[in-house]
Amino acid sequence: MREMAIPGQTPQTGVGDAAVVRAREKEDILVGEEIVRHRLASRVIHWAVALFFFVALLTGLPIWTPLFGWMATFFGGLNVCRWLHPWSGVAFAIASIVMFVHWLSDMRLKDADREWLTPRGIVRYFEYRGDDSQVGKYNGGQKLLFWFAELAMIGLLLTGLVIWFPERFGQGLRQTSYVVHDVAFILFFAMIIGHIYLGTAAEPGTFGSMVRGTVTKSWARLHHPKWYREVTGEQPRR
Amino acid sequence: MNPSGLEIRQSSAGVWGSATGQRNMAVVSKYIDTSTCIGCKACEVACQEWNDLHIVPTVQVGTYQTMPTLDANYWNLIKFREVEHDGNFSWLMRKDQCMHCADPGCLKACPAPGAIVQYENGIVDVNPDACIGCKMCETGCPFDVPRYAAKTDKMAKCTLCVDRVQVGTEPACIKACPTGCLHFGTKQDMLALADSRVDQLKRSGFAQAAVYDPPGVGGTGVITVLAHGDHPEWYGLPKDPHVPTGVRFWKNVLRPVGVIAFAAAFFAMVGHYLTFGPKKPREGADKPKGEGPV
Repeated sequence: MREMAIPGQTPQTGVGDAAVVRAREKEDILVGEEIVRHRLASRVIHWAVALFFFVALLTGLPIWTPLFGWMATFFGGLNVCRWLHPWSGVAFAIASIVMFVHWLSDMRLKDADREWLTPRGIVRYFEYRGDDSQVGKYNGGQKLLFWFAELAMIGLLLTGLVIWFPERFGQGLRQTSYVVHDVAFILFFAMIIGHIYLGTAAEPGTFGSMVRGTVTKSWARLHHPKWYREVTGEQPRR
Repeated sequence: MNPSGLEIRQSSAGVWGSATGQRNMAVVSKYIDTSTCIGCKACEVACQEWNDLHIVPTVQVGTYQTMPTLDANYWNLIKFREVEHDGNFSWLMRKDQCMHCADPGCLKACPAPGAIVQYENGIVDVNPDACIGCKMCETGCPFDVPRYAAKTDKMAKCTLCVDRVQVGTEPACIKACPTGCLHFGTKQDMLALADSRVDQLKRSGFAQAAVYDPPGVGGTGVITVLAHGDHPEWYGLPKDPHVPTGVRFWKNVLRPVGVIAFAAAFFAMVGHYLTFGPKKPREGADKPKGEGPV
């Protein structure tokens, strides 16, 4: 049982308290009534990836179709998008590589994640009928998103370079790159819509884990029972 | 737009289409007869002069050709090719430039609204103010014509001397040609001229003579008479050019599919929230006995 005693501390308070801040530099530990889920480094990496993803997405969409041409206005026009898009893409790739190294050990797919590998399992998850008793720190869906994001990053980076410097490549490769770049970002964005929904509206308390870094015990018990047991050493009561 | 027949028929990155269809302008065309071209390059000089293009250093490529390919500052280039065939030898010259396709791949591929336009008279033109220098037109063009200029971060190519045509005169290259292998007029007239020249060539022993006006791109605003019409590749012309598949797939398939996918994902999430609501811990589950602060 890893638990951190904080003298004179009442639960759910002390956001700015030095001891809590120090504690939140570590991960998977109990601080008062809350569990530190994402330490500062994890959150910075996550938001760096997210920021560059959205800059690249919002500058790429007006180039992709004039239907989203109005988005270019927010960046100062299509001319700005034309250079901001590739460079934010490069930044996204770098951030994703850091994220890969940072989260690789946590994101290995295990037996308990099998549910997420079948469409039926995914449906069961969304109907809240899934069996998550063996779900550790990250569930199968989070791991799949991680692997898909890294794979998509590689695809988007390589095809993006071809589109960026077409004169160095042949016609066949350029055309394939358009198609692969499009398919990758369409799937990626569709998954991110789901990711944002699950991280905010659908599962209250999750967004806080990426902002303050902590979750409540009950949140951990509900969504990640195996992780909860590992952190607290307790058997969950449901 | 203006009184000179330059209403825009098609514009790059138009969402709802931009055909005017108001006036019935005759489509114009250049006529190039490769069999009477003597490779004098008067058209190259006239093009540079009329369009005020910077002088580009020439490159020795082992033939009379000025440089290997077109350049952002060199829109008209005579391509010299030597071909051996059936024990014969042909020294072929062809004026390379923008073909002004009826179905322009550059315009299809261009993501910047209004950067590439096709006027009612068929001329495909670039508007540098709207061009973002992304080079996608280079991939869209089946003839490898548009060129990116790093200096301006814009694309450049032959305008078919739209500024001359607009005031009722012929393009500069046509004006300069000393042999009469270049002509300019309505496409209908130019096709008639080309057909009669092809007949002449056939009578002179070039049985395969033909007009190069490829249907894959809807025909071109530059038609070329080829003595060896069955082998356009001898002249450096693609045999069956069309708007590249990747570009068409992106614009015609992936674009609508992607937009529908985003909307579907969004509404699926909204639907899920309305159906199942948020997944919350049970009320009071956080305060069982013996779990207080230490």
